[in-house]
This record gives sequence, structure tokens and C-alpha cells, in this order.
Amino acid sequence: MKALMGEDGKRRLSVCLAAAAVLAMTACGAKAGEGNLIVQEESGGKVVNFFGPMEKSNPDADNVSRTAFDMTVSMAEEQLGLTVEYRTYTAENYQEKTYDDVTLDRVRNNMDDLYLLNPDTIQILGEEGKLMDLSGLENAENLREVVKTANTVDGKLVAAPQEVVVYGLFVNKDMFDEYGLQLPETPEDLMECCKTFKENGVETPIGANRWWLENLVFAQAYADLYNGENTEEEIDALNRGERKYSDYMRPGFEYLQELIDKGYIDAKTAYTYEAIEGEGPDFLAQKTPIVMAYWGAANTPTAYGEPDFELQVIGFPSSRGQMPVVSMTGFGVGTDAEHLEDTMNVLNIILSDEALQLYTETNKVISPSENVEVDCIPALKPLNDKVEDNVYVLGSNANMKVEQWGNTCLIVRDLLNGATVDECMAEFDRLQEEALGR
Amino acid sequence: MLFSIILVFCILGAVVFLLARKISTEMSSSAIHNLNESLTLIRGTVEAILTKKAEFQDLIAREIVRIDDPEEFVRSYDRNRAMVKISLISSGKTEGVSNTGEVFSEEGLDFSAGKTVEGLPVSDSYLNDMGTWAYTIKCPIMKNGREIAWLYAEYIYDAFDEALPDGFYNGNAMLYIMDAKSERLVLKPKGMGERNAGHLNLEDFYRANNILEKGLQAEVEQYIKDGKNIMFYHDIQGENSLIYMWSVNNGALYLIGYVPIDAIQQEGKAVNQNILIVVLVMLIAFFLCCVLYFFNQRQQDRIREEQEREREMHNKQLAEALQAAQIASNSKTMFLSNMSHDIRTPMNAILGFTTLLNKDADNPVKVREYTKKITASGQHLLGLINDVLDVSKIESGKVVLTIGEFTLNDLVSSVDTIIRPMAGAKEQKFHVTVTGIKHEYLAGDETRLNQILINLLSNAVKYTQKGGNIWFRIIGLDQRSSQYEHIRIEVEDDGYGMTPEYLETIFDAFTRAENSTTNKVQGTGLGMAITKNIVELMGGTIEVSSQVDKGSLFRVELELRIPDEQMDKQFWEKNGISHVLAVDDEEDICSGIRLLMKDTGVLMDEAYNGKDAVRLAMDAYGAGNGYDVILMDWKMPGMDGLETAKRIREAISGPVKILFLTSYDGEDLQEEVHHMENTGILAKPFFVTAFKEKIMEMRMESEGKGQEAEAGKCSSLEGLRLLAAEDNEINAEILLELLDMEGAACEIVGNGQMAVERFANAAEGEFDAILMDVQMPVMNGYEATKAIRALNRRDAREIPVIAMTANAFAEDVKEALDAGMNVHIAKPIDMELLKKTINQYVIRKE
Repeated sequence: MKALMGEDGKRRLSVCLAAAAVLAMTACGAKAGEGNLIVQEESGGKVVNFFGPMEKSNPDADNVSRTAFDMTVSMAEEQLGLTVEYRTYTAENYQEKTYDDVTLDRVRNNMDDLYLLNPDTIQILGEEGKLMDLSGLENAENLREVVKTANTVDGKLVAAPQEVVVYGLFVNKDMFDEYGLQLPETPEDLMECCKTFKENGVETPIGANRWWLENLVFAQAYADLYNGENTEEEIDALNRGERKYSDYMRPGFEYLQELIDKGYIDAKTAYTYEAIEGEGPDFLAQKTPIVMAYWGAANTPTAYGEPDFELQVIGFPSSRGQMPVVSMTGFGVGTDAEHLEDTMNVLNIILSDEALQLYTETNKVISPSENVEVDCIPALKPLNDKVEDNVYVLGSNANMKVEQWGNTCLIVRDLLNGATVDECMAEFDRLQEEALGR
Repeated sequence: MLFSIILVFCILGAVVFLLARKISTEMSSSAIHNLNESLTLIRGTVEAILTKKAEFQDLIAREIVRIDDPEEFVRSYDRNRAMVKISLISSGKTEGVSNTGEVFSEEGLDFSAGKTVEGLPVSDSYLNDMGTWAYTIKCPIMKNGREIAWLYAEYIYDAFDEALPDGFYNGNAMLYIMDAKSERLVLKPKGMGERNAGHLNLEDFYRANNILEKGLQAEVEQYIKDGKNIMFYHDIQGENSLIYMWSVNNGALYLIGYVPIDAIQQEGKAVNQNILIVVLVMLIAFFLCCVLYFFNQRQQDRIREEQEREREMHNKQLAEALQAAQIASNSKTMFLSNMSHDIRTPMNAILGFTTLLNKDADNPVKVREYTKKITASGQHLLGLINDVLDVSKIESGKVVLTIGEFTLNDLVSSVDTIIRPMAGAKEQKFHVTVTGIKHEYLAGDETRLNQILINLLSNAVKYTQKGGNIWFRIIGLDQRSSQYEHIRIEVEDDGYGMTPEYLETIFDAFTRAENSTTNKVQGTGLGMAITKNIVELMGGTIEVSSQVDKGSLFRVELELRIPDEQMDKQFWEKNGISHVLAVDDEEDICSGIRLLMKDTGVLMDEAYNGKDAVRLAMDAYGAGNGYDVILMDWKMPGMDGLETAKRIREAISGPVKILFLTSYDGEDLQEEVHHMENTGILAKPFFVTAFKEKIMEMRMESEGKGQEAEAGKCSSLEGLRLLAAEDNEINAEILLELLDMEGAACEIVGNGQMAVERFANAAEGEFDAILMDVQMPVMNGYEATKAIRALNRRDAREIPVIAMTANAFAEDVKEALDAGMNVHIAKPIDMELLKKTINQYVIRKE
């Protein structure tokens, strides 16, 4: 040992051992913490309550859409030092209150601060003055004009989305190829395709739910209105009562009726099915070749993100060819929100170009910001090309005095529930009269 | 040992494992207990709120009794967060009033489950007009013991949120409030739910958390029906978790959720981690100690082994030293014994013959015989003394080499002069060969070299039987440096040889081969030791191989510096020699001659027999480039040297010199040669210097100088007058007598001082030389010489001073020369040597 360490080494070892002993004794003899032991919360417990929809849970798949939103919310939480509390409602079945019904109640009763709203509720609540004007937000400046237009009620920007929601026909290209069918451009094409499928043993060629069947109607109703040259004049004429919504809607409803009559759509199940949850399994199982859904469903594993076949998303058939239907869900803030300032700040951050870039890249959707663009997946290319060419119809338009998205949905449900086309048109006329205050 | 350590570690591991497991179990149990308490606390809070609400409603109901217009009271009641709606239905009616202004009926409210709070019925949960989950408690309004109306109050579950904690287990625990009947999740308290799951109802909760076991679901269903608490383990999103369902208000509501096990067992985990760390630290410390111990042990073992080795080595060295000392002691004892014998023997002879001389002083024949024998014995005694003194000098490291320039020719011829007669006396054949030598003019201690060769050769002669052979070879080896001649000297004989045992000690002092054959040979046994020491002193090596009765071979390798030789090319030109023919049947000899003649500028041809020699000579002569000298081996097979020479003479009329090479004394040849013109004899081995001398000699002969008369004159000391400084009277007397016998006059002085004075007072030229002893009283020889040389007279620097001293070592010679003496002669005086030396240095007056 002497040879290994020497006197100097021994001295060092002694010092180390002594130091270790002192440390051990100090550790053993250390007093418990002194003073107030409660850890004070630094954030001050600032909270913003967010109310939004939630699909039924699936343990095997991530909700990408929600994940993207969460990422932007985390950005806001981090920057503002607050917590965004999520609240949600999902109807257990079609007989229960819908999300929109509950949203209306909650906004009217000032239950939350921030809401994710569907187009019809945006218009209703905007007209009721229950939503804050968001045009003052710094990042609202970046929104595309079409987005602003669709969400402006009485001159106020009452909602702002994180994505432009585009609806289209989701088709199983493999099945079309199997029967030698071209993807449909016009309503007649679609009818022919359905006929062929039906003849080949496909029980229900078009899978539908109680929410999105209206897009078939919108495409036929407003293809000319939104893609012609007199859009504003025609809307003005509708708002003045010079033209009737029912005139626009009738061909679509009659077409829908024909699809139902020929058994291409199962009205009974469509009336009760929740979105995707109802018709989705058959589509994924390749029993149904056609469904309709929003753009993001093609990216989301919980929806149609991972099919076992070649998926193509195309516009709805119309006289002007395939027609995407653009609808705006958006975030609104209650005018009497308990945490109004924080909520406006959160919204400003989640609508920032940085947040929207993150959101858009994650979800592969069309961004509402003029400054953010990302490539879409191949399946969405046909739909994207149309939107890029400004070929689409709006599913909701706050400039129309008769709310379109919610009302049409309800009237389509009436049709599914057995009402005639004439009865449905009469309902449109009634709504128009009501809107005109007559 | 290893087994014990493994056993200890196994026991330690088992103890630590059991301890960790025990702690884990206890902590787990404690954690579950804590979770129980937390849930119970939350339940208590929810139930307390329910109770307080029921009590408050009851209070309002009592208050309403005292109010005149209860319906107006209800209508005017403001909605608040706790009680969002209040309604009243009078007894007997189905509709009533509400603070929302609507007509109120019990329609849509379900009290059928029979759940109560404080005895008041509670409805099932429902989604109210605020878009949130709510429940209604109805309370009877009693007046005078009679039920007059029912008060309905609607409460929202959101109101519980404020009273509940903002999460528990650091937000890792999930908690929802579930309506037991509808199994709808009616409240997700803040900080306690998942963001990415809505959890619509219990079924959705099961699906989201992958709790799909039907049996388990049925069991849970039963518990919920019975209003009991349930807690069970299940994996949720890959984590082992505890799922709990806690009954509130007798099972009307349930607190449901889950918490990962890791989250509730953090303390236990931390304790186990700490135990693990402590164990690891201890293990590391233990292993470090083991490593240190191992290294220490290894170090100690190494030191011990080293000490052991050193001790063994010391012991061995001591044993060897003891053995060597014993051998040395024995050798010296033997040596003294030998010396005693060897000295006494000649001394005995000297003294004996002196006695006889005294007795037969008148008989000149006997006197001559006796003196001859006395001289021989004296010479032998002197040899013994010289050897003893030399070895003592070498052993004490006082030997200094005196480096001078010499030629191998001189060395070989002087050795040959001494050894050949000795060999001849024993009828031995003495063969001398020199091969491969490039330079014969070398620098070294010639005297010592001579000593080496004499030692080796005289031994060879001594230890070889009569008629044997002695080979003396000088071989030129490849030069390691251009400045040094690398030579090997071999002395071989076919004599008695030596035993391997003796070979091991042959170079040790005081040893001498002892056997029946050699013990007749007298000697100190110091010769080989001296030889080896001198060889090593010269940086050389000596080795010996020998076989008994076969002979011995001594090999000495030396490197001798080549002095800056001034090649006397002019000599050859001056003597008109430019073309030489070497004729010898041995090719080696021819090539040796060519090698030696390389730098002379002389063109060399070789012939290996007489015929070729004649042809070459004729050809050269015919071509007008005839040979100036032909070196001709005498003894050649076929046509011998003489015959060849004769043929050449017949064929060529030119003045070609022919030198016969012979290794014999050449007396027969002398006769033959005498009759031939322009011929001479050159002793083998061939040396350039000898060749040159011969050329000179032949030239002088041809110039007709009377060498013989001169030589005869020089051999005598007749007419010389000498001054001798000698303090020993006997020696002085002997000297005086000897010189007198040679016809020289000598004046003796007793010391150096007297010599100086005598010379100083002498007339110039009075003395021809001074013989100077060295060790003298008053002034020694060196000082005296210096003083004489310093005298201010012309002959002081010229007069030869000859040292005659018993200080016979090389350094003594050097000192003598340094002191200014001309030459050194060792005592006892060899009269022939003295005569030769004096004649060499004295300049005869005539």
C-alpha cells in the first residue's frame, strides 16, 4: 500500500474520509425544513375555460386533430402562464341534445370563456350579440378574406378558425376501379355509379350520417351562385326576398330523395348515425364505397387516416363538376366571459402564424392564414386543387340572413325522417319569411 | 474463498431484495391507504356540499311557509351558481312556477331511483338549459304539519368544482363524477381529467382505457348497483394503474378515475431507489476495497518476490564470491608453492654453480660451462620475476599502452626470430602465414603485441610435443571502419591440448595446467592472464578452443588504427619498379601480395606455377613492358623457383630482379642464389617494408659499399668512453667489468647529482654516452638527465643518455624518454643489447 499511495496519498485519503464522515454526520443531523413549508403557486391559478366537441374515445388511436390543437394551446399556456381547462359534451345518441344545442345553452348562460362553434351556432350567437368582436385581435389580420366573410355577422368578426373546413366525397378508389367506374363529376355520374355498385351487390353505396348529408345539397344548390359572376347580387336578392332559397335547394333535395328512394342511401340509419362513428366502420370495411366527411378526416387515424384501400377525396358532384363545400367552424369568445382578457390573449396566440403553421403541418389542412401553406397528402389533392382554383361553395355564410349550415342540416334530417321535398322546401320558405321579419 | 464471497453476496442480495420488497409492499399498502383517504375526503366534500344544499333548501322551504305569496318569492329568486333554478308546485297541482318565469312541472325529472340527501329526494342527473349537467332536489313545504307545496331546486355539478382540489398526485390522477344510474360522466373537475378524451359515460371510459374484460365490467356493474366502492389494478396506456370508483351519497354518484401506480408509490420508489443507490455505493466501495487490497497484495507479493530474488542473488553472489575467494586463495597458495619451487630451482642452480665456480675457478672449461648455466638459470629467474611483476601491474590497473607506429613485418620478423629457434629446438615445424592484410603499417603498442604473440607462441611451443606443428597466422578481416585494420591472429598447435575444465580457468591468474605431461614445464601460469588483459586493454578479444591430445587454437581479434601513411610512391619510381610478377603455387599468397602492393602504384601480375611465370615474363618482355622484379616462391611443385628463375634468365636478357620467397632459413637457397646475379631472398610472409628493404639492400650491394667492415666495427664498443651513474656498487662493478671486456672505458658515479656535476666539468666530447640508473639517492636518473639536458653546452642536448634500470615497465620507458633520455634498457643487463644500443646512438668521432 505504501508503494501504491505513499505518505501524500495516505494524507489525501484521510482528508477525504474525514470530509465524507463530516458530510454524513451533517446529513444525519440536518434539521427538517424551516419556515412555511407550503409551496406557493406561482401561476396564481389563472384559467381559461374552453368548451369544445370531442369524439368518442378510441384507445388505439391518437386524435391528431386534437393533438394539433393541444400543441397550439400549450404554446399559449406557456406564453401566458395560465391553464386552459377543457370541457366537452358528446351526445350519447341522436335523441340527446346535440353539441350545437348545448353550445348555444352554454354560451347564452356564460358557462365558459372560449368555444369551438359550428357555422350555424356562430351565426345564431353572433346575431344574438353573445360573441366578442375578434377583429381587434392582432393575428386576425392574417386571416383570408373568405374566412373573414364567412364569420362576420353584423359587421363583427365573431369567430376565427384554425383550419378551413372543406367537405368532400371520400371514395374507395379500389372499388371504383374494380367496377370500371370513373370518379363522378355530375349528379348523374354519381347516380350511375351508385346504380352499378348496387347492381354488384353493394347494399348501400353511399354511407351517411345525420350531420353531413346536407353537403350533397349545398353543392347542387349553390354551385352556380358561388362560382358565377353575380354572387353578391344573388345573395342580396335572397336577403331581400326577391329570390327563394327553396328554388336553389329543390334540385338537391329531389336528388337526395331519389338516392334514398333507389336505396343508395339508407335514410333510416343516416338519421340516427353520428358523424363517422355511424357510417365509418362500413366504409373502412369496404362495404360502402362512398361517404362524405371533412378534409381533416383523411389525416386522422380516428377517422379515415389509415384505410386499407386507395382513398381519394373529391368534390361533391354538381352541374359545374366536382365541388368542395367549405364550412367554417371557428373559435368564439363569450361577451361576458369570466376570463375575457386571458381568453382573448389565448385566442390571439392560437391564431398566430406560428401556431397555425404548427397546426397546419400537423393536420395537413388548409390554413385560414394567408401566410401559412403546407402540402397536402395525395388523397386530398383533387379536393385541394379545386380549392386552390377557387372552385367551391360555402356551406355557411353569415351574409345570408337565413342560416344555412344548421337549418339545412335539420331540414335534410326531416327528409330522412320521411318529410316530402315540398314540405322541406316549405320549411325553407318559412325560414326565409321569418328572417325577413314578415 | 470465492464461494464464501459469493455466498455473502447472495445473502446480502437476498436481504436487500426482501427489504426492498417489504418496503415496496408497505409503501404500496400505505399509498393505497392514502388514495383511499383522498377519495374519502373528496367524497366527504361532495356529500357535505349536497347536505348543505339540502339543508339550505329546507331552510328556504321553512321560510316560504312564513311568506304570504310563496310563488312570488320563487319567481323573484335570482339564479346563482349554487342553485340555478328554483320552482314551486303547490300540493295537488302538477304545474307550478319557476324563477326562470316558465311554467314548471316535474316532467323530465326522474326521482324514481329513490336517492335522497338529508331525507330529501334527489333526481337523476340531466342536461339543463345551461348546457351542463344538473340535478334537482325537491323539498316539501310543511305548514302546521300539512304538506302545502314542494320546493324544487336545480343544482349544477359545476358547483362542486370550486370545492374540489385542483388535482391530486401531482395531476397524475384522473377523476370524474359519474351519475350512477345513467352512468354518464357529469363533471370533470378542473385539473383532473384527460384533455384528449371526452369520457361521455362509463362505457366510453372503459373503451378509452381499454378496460374491455366483460367479467370485470359485470363485477363493477354489480358494485355500482350495490353502491359499494371498487378499486382494482389495470394497465392504462401501458402503465400499471389503480382504477377506483368511489360511491358518493350512498351510490347516487360515483367518483371514478385512475392513477398510475408509479404516481402513488413515488415515496416507496424513492426509498427503494435510495436503498439501491446505497447498496450500489457500498458494492462499489467494497469492490474498490477489494481492488485496492488485490493491488496491495500483488504489490506486496511482487516486493516479496523481488526481495527473495535479490536475497537469492546475493546468496548466490556470496557463494560465488566465497568460491572465487577460495579458488583464488587456493590458486595463490598453489602459486606461492609453485613460485617457491620455481624460484628456488634456478636459484639453487645459480648458487650451486657459484659454489662449483668458486671451486673450479682455475678450470676455464668448467668456468664457462658453469657461467653458461648460471646465466640460463638467471634468465629463467628473470622471466619469472617479470611475469609476476607484470600481472601485478595489470591487476592493479596501472598498465598504460604506449601507442606507436610499427610495421607488421617488424612484428612478425621479431616474433619469428624468437620462436623459430625455440620451435627448432623441439624439432617442431613453425608455419607463418599472413593473408588479407591491406595495411602493414599500423599504430599500436608494438611491445605489448609482441608480448601477446610471444606468450601465445611460446606456450604453443611449450605445450606441443617434439616434432609437432605450430601455425602462426595473421589474417586481415573485413574492416569495420576505414581507419582501422581488423586483424585476427591465430596461434594453433597440434600439441597436448587442454581439458574443458582447464579451458574455463585458462585466463585466470595463478593457474597452470597440471598433468603428467605438462608439469615438467616451468612457468608462473600468469602468461595467459597477462595476454588476455593486454588484449582487452587494446579493445580486442581472445578466445581459445582446445581438445586434449589434438591441440589448441588461440584466436585474438584486434582493431589497429591505420596511421596516415604517406605512401612512398616515389620509392618505386626512384628505383625504377613499375611492374612486378608474383609467382607462388598458393593463390592466397599471390593475392596477399597484390593486396599489400595495392597502394604502391606498381602493376602486379600473378603466376601460380613456374611455366606460367616464364611465359608471362617472356610476354611482358616481348611487349616492351618487362617485369622489374619477380617475386618467386622457392618451393613450388613441378618447376621450382630456382628452375623457373633460371629459365627466365635464359629467356630474358634484361636486368630483372628475382627475389625468392621462402619461409625457411634459406641456407641451401643462399648458396644457389649466390651464383645468380640480381637475385635475393625475401622471407615469407611477404611484407612491403621487407620488400623495400630488400630492394634497398640490393641497390646498395650493387653500388658496392663495404657493408661488412662497417658492421663488424659497429658490433664492438672499442675506444668508447662512457659515464655511468649507478649507486649499487656490485652492479657498478659488473658494468665496469663488462664494458672493459668490450674495450670501452667507463667512469662510475654514485648518483644523479654526481653525474650531472661530472658531465658539467668534463671537456666537450670527453664522454661518448651516459649510462643512467634511475633509482638513485640524492638525485634520480630522470632529474639528472633533465639537468644534463638543461646544461648550457653544445653537447648537453646531443650526448646519448641510456637508461639502465630495473624499472622495466612500458611506463618506465615512457618516463625515461620524457625526461630526455634517448633509450631504455632494462636490467639485468643484456650485454649484446647494450652493445647494439650504444652503437646505434653513439656518433663515432672518426
